[in-house]
Amino acid sequence: MRFFRQVAVVACKDLRAELRTKEAINASLAFSIVILLLFSFAFDPSEDTMREISGGLLWIVFAFAGTLMLNRSFARELPNDCLDALIAAPIPASALFLGKCLANYALVLAVELVSLPVFGIFYNVHWAKQFPELLLVLLLGTWALTVIGTIFSALTVNIKLREVMLPMLTYPILIPALMSAMQLTTALVGGAAISAENVDSLKMLIGFDIVFTAVSLALVDTVLVG
Amino acid sequence: MRNTLFSLFGSGAPVAMAAAVVALVASVAFLRTRNFLYDALALASTEAGFALLAAALAAGVLWSRTAAGIWWAWDTRLTAALVCGLVYAAYLMLRRAIEEPTERATSAAVVSVFAFLDVPLAAIAIAWWRARHALPPEGGPPPGWGAPASWNALAMLVLGAALTVILLRREERRRALDAQRRAALTL
Repeated sequence: MRFFRQVAVVACKDLRAELRTKEAINASLAFSIVILLLFSFAFDPSEDTMREISGGLLWIVFAFAGTLMLNRSFARELPNDCLDALIAAPIPASALFLGKCLANYALVLAVELVSLPVFGIFYNVHWAKQFPELLLVLLLGTWALTVIGTIFSALTVNIKLREVMLPMLTYPILIPALMSAMQLTTALVGGAAISAENVDSLKMLIGFDIVFTAVSLALVDTVLVG
Repeated sequence: MRNTLFSLFGSGAPVAMAAAVVALVASVAFLRTRNFLYDALALASTEAGFALLAAALAAGVLWSRTAAGIWWAWDTRLTAALVCGLVYAAYLMLRRAIEEPTERATSAAVVSVFAFLDVPLAAIAIAWWRARHALPPEGGPPPGWGAPASWNALAMLVLGAALTVILLRREERRRALDAQRRAALTL
């Protein structure tokens, strides 16, 4: 119980800091809208093409916008040595990590839920045909993105090339999760339900989330304390 | 020609997989003992495996060109090998980005564990993805090539081990030199 209260305290602190400064969420939102706009110049945005590539397009936007957000997660603590204070605080490193993860999760999800209607408007796609299932895929895929992004954000926080290294590390590791999320999203936006044909992808997403959440929690002490 | 390429392609990748296992064991051993010898071993076997994987990928692309007529046919094993190569390339790049030896070794060991767990998931995801799409059929070993291919695999294994030993000694020397430089700077 105490552990979850500590997690909640860290998550609330991060959310409050972000909502007061809005430094990452504004950049991330503006960035995702710009990419959505740019994609329409890359190919003919007819309804059929759009439905076929919607999953890939949306998850590329989410992954890029998410990395922008996740880059700030630990870098925000560097001025005034706040990171050292957080590590020295009497809470387990896993509570600190989970708290930051939850805060990032909420912020990335917020950006995604704004990008989706924008995507629908720009490309005239009726995307909400299978909304509950799509939301499930979003929740699972975003958790994968957040958990990997947060642990590598902690890992790269002291590196000079931080902004370059984070995407270099996260995208290759995320390939199984992104692949599954893209396929499911394409099917769901096209109006198909989750069936025997793509239930494998859903299993992969769930498995990815479980495996990497467990490994991150096991290794976060090493990452933060050394 | 094609069969020679295939056997090279077929046996470099499993040796790279063995190198990844060695790197994982060495990384976990480093995190437990903090002995820098394990860190050097993890780096050496990753680099050796990466070199063999790159050779296997190049041979695989050439083989695909001669056998199917296209350079890249999204063959399950080739695609999985490419993902594996990308993941371990990130590991090698991370090592270059960190100056401080202890921090570098710890961060690299953590990434090595993540990379090792990721590769099988990626391979499964690619196999499932491929099964659902109409792509050109995959090639297999030509008939009667079992025995030469296994000898070739053994040779590749020896090559990989020799590379690992050479790179391990290089890394140890580099660290000794680095320690001396640091000592000289603090004087």
